[in-house]
Amino acid sequence: MNRSRALCGIVIGQLLLAQIPLHSAEPERLTDTGRLKFTPVYCDQGRSLFFVELTDPTLYRLQRLDLATRTISPVNPAATTSEFEPSWAADYQCYAYLKTRGPLSIGITVCDNQGTMLGEIRPEPGFFGFRSPTMAPGKSQIAFSYGVGGTQQIFASRLNGDNRQPLTNSEGFNHWPAYSPDGRFITYGSSRDGNFEIYIMHNDGTDPRRLTDHPRQDIRPRFSPDGSQIAFTSHRDGNAEIYLMSADGTNLRRLTNHPERDDYADWHPDGQHLVTVSERKGRHEVYLWNIQEVEF
Amino acid sequence: MIDVGSFRTATCRGIGRRHFLKLAASASAGLGLPLLPTTAVGAAPIRAKSVLFVFLWGAPSHLDTCDPKPDAPLEFRGPFGVIPTRTPGVHFTELIPGIASRSDRFSLVRTNTTSAPGHPDAGTVALTGFAETPSPPQPNFGSIVAKRRGSQGALPPFFSIANGVVMDGARRIEGYGGGTLSQAYDPFMMGCSEAGVVNLPALHLLDDLNPLRIQNRRQLSGILDLANRQIERAQKLSWSRSMQSAYDLLLNPAARQAFDLTRENDETRARYGYTTFGQSSLLARRLLEAGVPYVQLNYSRHVEALNPGFEFGWDTHIYNFELLQDQHCPVLDRAFSALLDDLYDRGLIRETLVVMMGEFGRTPKISARAARDHWPACYFSIWAGGGVEPGRVIGSSDKRGEYPLGESFSPLAVGTTIAHLAGIDTQTRAEMNVLTNGHVIEGLL
Repeated sequence: MNRSRALCGIVIGQLLLAQIPLHSAEPERLTDTGRLKFTPVYCDQGRSLFFVELTDPTLYRLQRLDLATRTISPVNPAATTSEFEPSWAADYQCYAYLKTRGPLSIGITVCDNQGTMLGEIRPEPGFFGFRSPTMAPGKSQIAFSYGVGGTQQIFASRLNGDNRQPLTNSEGFNHWPAYSPDGRFITYGSSRDGNFEIYIMHNDGTDPRRLTDHPRQDIRPRFSPDGSQIAFTSHRDGNAEIYLMSADGTNLRRLTNHPERDDYADWHPDGQHLVTVSERKGRHEVYLWNIQEVEF
Repeated sequence: MIDVGSFRTATCRGIGRRHFLKLAASASAGLGLPLLPTTAVGAAPIRAKSVLFVFLWGAPSHLDTCDPKPDAPLEFRGPFGVIPTRTPGVHFTELIPGIASRSDRFSLVRTNTTSAPGHPDAGTVALTGFAETPSPPQPNFGSIVAKRRGSQGALPPFFSIANGVVMDGARRIEGYGGGTLSQAYDPFMMGCSEAGVVNLPALHLLDDLNPLRIQNRRQLSGILDLANRQIERAQKLSWSRSMQSAYDLLLNPAARQAFDLTRENDETRARYGYTTFGQSSLLARRLLEAGVPYVQLNYSRHVEALNPGFEFGWDTHIYNFELLQDQHCPVLDRAFSALLDDLYDRGLIRETLVVMMGEFGRTPKISARAARDHWPACYFSIWAGGGVEPGRVIGSSDKRGEYPLGESFSPLAVGTTIAHLAGIDTQTRAEMNVLTNGHVIEGLL
């Protein structure tokens, strides 16, 4: 049932995308506020986006962008503290995000696709912040990272935080976990070998393998909907650009090429489009890229 | 566009009353204030007619920006790569490529040190050179310059750009203003949004009056009388004076022009970036161009990062690496690069001293929460223009960035160097009873 709904949603999403004029490799701008933005992620089978916007100097607000109407509305209009780093499960059944609960105290909230809270992982006492929550398919598991003893490790747990298990145990920082669509693998960034590179491991943390190797940082990996590719941000050309590679680390290609920043890639469920936050003429907006129209 | 409180207007007649009153209260450093005598024979030359103090409030990590330690153990050096600068042998982290590529336009001090480990006191020390007690504190460097130089035209001599007085939590930083020189030398407070809308955040009073009805000074007088009845008796004198000054300021086309960022073309505004700090940096350049002797440009009003209700400062006890990577460094890199270029292109840099720094550094050893805490023993400052020889690196820290090797420089030395370059010599400082026992950072000259 869910599978057929998801397929239906993808078709609808593709129809919507077909209405958006795309010119050569130029991306389509989806927002027009100019404010700082972060982490756009598809939801509603590609019909909407969540993203984070600095709506006033004190607040990261979780926003929803309806792609058909281009209207932006707050996900939680009554929120008075920052909410950020949203993540939707590959089957779009639930999402998670970070919520500021007090001074330097950030927890994780998990909701179903109607916005009903499914679980909450509260921060530890004192200065504490979870990072980069990511949902496994089927409401089965959530992965996230946080600081431990001067390092940052990735953990997985049930949606309420129970049964927490470490997935990494290395020097440095392990960050931005992202499940493969089938939930069997996790790609992530790690500085264990000196600076941030992209890695992949099984969902239980076994068999970690490095996929990139460059002295400039490679960060924020995301599996494509069919699991065959990974999009990520790299600074290897002097500023933040989006790159694609096969899930085994081969076939590296640069998607964006602009003197300003391109960051925070997320895949449309059709696997042919990506959204990013890109800075153009000093303004930060969400952009849509058609991979097929890019000459690699 | 000028947003004086809840109103937006491009003409002085349209200024909202509430904003008008805000402006009045924030104009205490304004016009017609007593000045010291102008430069006497034999006094220090004025190499910096204007000073821009860029305050990275909350304190950025020196290891993650301008003093990386790529050979230190991983628990010190952090996850970022390093890139070469224009200065031979000097590297910054990859987070600030624009600033790195302009290192021939400024000099870098890598051995700043301060006595105060906490924000409130360290903030005062950073802005005055001295601890916050006894009260009143010593004056802000800007207040010293303001008293010495006075207004250069229609504008007050000391601006502080932020959405209010800089704060640590709910606590005001005592060294924000005139201190022992009196409130008359407090800064004129201005804020600026990411869209470039200027606002005057100093006060929120008398919402029941409509400023659009203010037609003349007599009417203004009535409003001032009402305002006077609503504020404490002790503040009445300065209030009335401030109101009068603000009225004069708002009616002065040159002053209003300096606040109006819409007079810049989009290319220029874009170079700075449409962020609060980016457009505030552009506002600062316009104020300097208009002849304001001292501008304090605050990265944020609050020190905190990710505290409910507070602006995002550099105090990264958690998320140090994320906030620097995702927000603070890209915003700073773009805006400060544009600011330097603009000052050079317009020829302003020769007579404008630019100083950028926080109130301390951050722990070289990464904390248990995978971030960095306060570190007063060693941090950096950037100096450009106004008599500073560019392309130098003054001092060096040890292999882990924990302590200075050799000579270090206190905030008192920072303030003394600023005053020296602004033409306030030893004798004048003594006459003003400010910056006592301070020494100039000779390596910058």
